[in-house]
Amino acid sequence: MSFIILKRLRNQNSSLIINNPGLKIHLYTSFYSSLSEPRHRNSPTPIYNKSILASGHVFLCNRNNWFSSLLREILNIPCVPVSARLLSSQAAVEKSTSDGLTVEGIIANGWNIYDENESDWKSHASAIAQSIHLIKKRLRWKNLIPKLETLSDQLSKPDLWNDPVHAGKISREHGSLMGKMKEVDAFEQELLEHIEMIKLAREENDAELESESQNALLTMRRNIKEKELEALLAGEHDSCSCFIEVQAGAGGTESMDWASMVMQMYKKWAERRGFGVSVVDEMPGEMAGIKRATIRVDGEYAFGYAKAEVGAHRLVRISPFDSNKRRHTSFASVAVIPILGDGFSRVQINESDLRIERFRAGGAGGQHVNTTESAVRITHIPTGVSASCQNERSQHQNKASAMAVLQSRLDQLEMKRQAEMNSEHTQSLTDINFGSQIRSYVLHPYRMVKDHRTDFEVSHPDSVLEGDLDGFILSFLSASLDKDEDAHL
Amino acid sequence: MISPRGCLFSILQPVLLRSNPGRLVSRSAVLSSNRPRIPLHLRPPNFSATVADLKKWHIWAKNLVSSVGSTFLDLDNGPDSTLLQRELTWLIQDAFENPNKVSFQNSNDDDSVVSLRVCLDDLYKMWKQRIEERRPFQYVVGCEHWRDLVLSVEEGVLIPRPETEMIVDLVNDAVNENEELRDGLWADLGTGSGALAIGIGRILGDPGKVIATDLSPVAVSVASYNVQRYNLQDKIAVKQGSWFEPLKNVEGGLAGLVSNPPYIPSDHIGGLQAEVAKHEPRLALDGGANGMNDLLHLCHGAVFMLKPGGFVALETNGEIQSKFLVDHMDTETKGSFHDVKIISDFAGIQRFVTGYKAR
Repeated sequence: MSFIILKRLRNQNSSLIINNPGLKIHLYTSFYSSLSEPRHRNSPTPIYNKSILASGHVFLCNRNNWFSSLLREILNIPCVPVSARLLSSQAAVEKSTSDGLTVEGIIANGWNIYDENESDWKSHASAIAQSIHLIKKRLRWKNLIPKLETLSDQLSKPDLWNDPVHAGKISREHGSLMGKMKEVDAFEQELLEHIEMIKLAREENDAELESESQNALLTMRRNIKEKELEALLAGEHDSCSCFIEVQAGAGGTESMDWASMVMQMYKKWAERRGFGVSVVDEMPGEMAGIKRATIRVDGEYAFGYAKAEVGAHRLVRISPFDSNKRRHTSFASVAVIPILGDGFSRVQINESDLRIERFRAGGAGGQHVNTTESAVRITHIPTGVSASCQNERSQHQNKASAMAVLQSRLDQLEMKRQAEMNSEHTQSLTDINFGSQIRSYVLHPYRMVKDHRTDFEVSHPDSVLEGDLDGFILSFLSASLDKDEDAHL
Repeated sequence: MISPRGCLFSILQPVLLRSNPGRLVSRSAVLSSNRPRIPLHLRPPNFSATVADLKKWHIWAKNLVSSVGSTFLDLDNGPDSTLLQRELTWLIQDAFENPNKVSFQNSNDDDSVVSLRVCLDDLYKMWKQRIEERRPFQYVVGCEHWRDLVLSVEEGVLIPRPETEMIVDLVNDAVNENEELRDGLWADLGTGSGALAIGIGRILGDPGKVIATDLSPVAVSVASYNVQRYNLQDKIAVKQGSWFEPLKNVEGGLAGLVSNPPYIPSDHIGGLQAEVAKHEPRLALDGGANGMNDLLHLCHGAVFMLKPGGFVALETNGEIQSKFLVDHMDTETKGSFHDVKIISDFAGIQRFVTGYKAR
C-alpha cells in the first residue's frame, strides 16, 4: 500500500518537479504524514512502516538534494534516522520489501549473477546481496549485537571515565562497531528500495524510472564490491605492505624456470593493482630462472591480498629444457611477509647479534676490484634468520634493504610465536607455510589453473601467469572467512 | 675536433683516450677542471626514441651480455653476465626519463615515444664501450651510488669502492663517543670523487668542517661538483695539492683524518681487471713497490696534523698491510697513537686501521 502512495508521489513528482516546487513540498508532506500512522493489518514485519518511511526518505535525498534538505528543514528530521533506531531497538528484525523480499531471500532465490554490463536487475540485486552477506560474515554479524550491547552497558556505567584510557577504548570500539553496522544496514535498506522502485516502475510501465533504478543498482553493485574487498581484508596486518618470496622446488632448471614465472606473475599482479614493486634479492639459476627471489610490494592491503598466495604452486607442462619433450611437474614455494608499519610493536634487534657479510666477494677487494656488485647478507645469530639484498646500487642501500627484510622476518617469527601461544589463532593466515600445495597450473595435456583450497579454476593459464590472480585470491579470502565463521559461531 | 655538445664528446672521449692516451688524458684533465661531466641521470631528457627502436636496442644489449657469460670473470675477475644484466637495467634507469613506465614486454605500444637523456645512437655506443672496452659502468653513466649518495665520477677519478663506505661508519662511531670530534676539523686526503669528505660532512655537527685534498685537478673539480650537489660547499673545502701540503696552516688542529690512499703494489697493477687497469687513474691506485708508500707517509703526517685525542682511519690492501701499519705505529711512531685497531670489511678482509692520537 505504501508503495502505491510512493508511486503516485513519484508520478506527480516527475511531472511537477520543474514547474512547481511549492506543490511538491505539499505532496511530500502529505506523504510523510500518511505514513506516520501505521495502517497495516497483518503486517508480517512490524518494522515495515519505518523501513519504508526511511526508504522513501532516503530515496528523496538521493534524487533531489536541494529539495530533501528543504523537506528536512520543514519536518525537522535528520537524514538517516532510521538505521540508528533500528540498531538500538530492533536490529534483529529483518528488513524486507513490501512483498516480503529480504536480502537473505534474494540469496535464497539463487538468481544468476551475470556480468555488470548485462542490465538485469535480478543479477545486480543478487550480486549486491552476496556482497552484503560476505560483509556481514566478515564482521561476525551475529556476534556483533551482543557485543554492542555489552559495550553500551559499559558505556553507561557512571564510573567509566575514572579510567580514561579504558573508557576511550570502549568508546572508540563502540563507535566503530556502530559505524559498521549502520553502513551494512544502509546497504540493505538501499538495495530493497531500489528493488521496490523497479517493481513499481514495471507495474506502472515507467521505463524512465526503471532504467534509473537499474542504474542505481549497478552503481551500488560497484560500490559495494569495493566495500566487500575491504571487509575481506580486516586482518590485523592486512593493510601492510609486504615481501613476497618465491623459491624453486627440487628439479633443477625446469623448476627454477617455473619459480621465475611465478615471480613474474606476482610482479605483474602487483603492478596491475597499482602497488609499487621492487626486487630485493634474486639468486639466478645456472641455466635459466631463479633459485629464489624476494620482491617488496608496497601499497595498502598488499599483504592482505598476497597472503592468499602462501604455499606450494605446481606446474605441469612439457619442459622446454627436456630434449625428449617429456612432461614435467615442478614446484615453487611462495612465502609472504608483512612489513609492519609504525603503530605495530616490532622486534628489537641487537646490533651485536648481527653478522654482516659481503656476498660473492672474491679476491683482494678494495682498489683491486671495480664492481657494481655490493650485495650483503645479514644473519641474526640467535635465531639463524638471515636476509640478503643485491639489487640496490650501493652496499649501504643493500644493507638497509636486507635489514628491512630481516626485521620483517623476525617480526613474523614473533607473530607466529604469539599466535601459537594463543590457540585461537593457530590456523592464522599469517602462518609461514611453505609446505602445502595450494594450486596447480596445468599447461599440458589440457590447460587449466585450479586452486586446491577453493576449487576455483580457470581454463586460461596464460592470463593467470600474466598476473590475473584476483579471482583466486578473492575466492580464497572468502572461503577462509567461511571457515573462520564456522570456527567462531 | 672536440664537439661543443657534451653528449657527443662524452661518448668520443674514451675512444680517443684509447687511441692516444698521453695527449687526451691531459686534455680531458684540463677540460674537466673547467667543467665536470654531468651524470647521465641528471641530464635533461632532450632526446627520444620509439618503444620499438628501444626494444631492438635492448635485445641487442641483452645478447651482448649473454655472449659475455663468465669470460671476463675467468679472464681477470671481471663482471659476469648476471652483473652486466643488472647494470643494463640501471643504465635504463638512468637514461630514460620515466624508466618505470616503459615495458619491453608489452607488444601493443611499439609506436609510443620514450623521452631519453641521451640519443639512441649513444645508448648503443655506451653499452658497446661497457662490454667491448670494459669501460667501468660508473664512467658510462657518470655516477656511482655510494652509501646513500649518488656521486658524479669520470675518467681521471677513482670510482669509490663499497668497502670504503665503512670508514664513514667508523667515523660515526668515533664522533658518537666524543662530541668534541663531531664539531672539529676533519681531513680527507686523496679525496677523489669527494665520497669520504661528503659522507663525513653529513654526520658532523654545525661547527664541524672538512678539508678534502687531491693532487689531481680532475679529482678536485669532480669533488667540488659533488660537494655542491649536496650543498655542502660551506662545510667542505676542496683543495688541490699532495697529501698534507694544502693543510700547512692547520698543523696539530685536526680532529680527524681519513684516507683511502693508493695501496696496490706497483707490479700488481698490470694484472688487475680491465675496468681498473685500463680505465681508472694509476695515480689513485699505485702505492709503490709494496703498496705502503702513501700509507706510511700518511701515518707519519697524522702524528703532526692531529690534535690530541684526534681520530685516524686508513684503508689498506688487507691483512699484510694492516698488520704492517699497526706494527709501524707501535714501533716507529711509538707513543703517538693509542687504541690502534684493525677492522675487517664485510668480506672479512682486514681492511682498515684506526687509532687515536695520544693526549
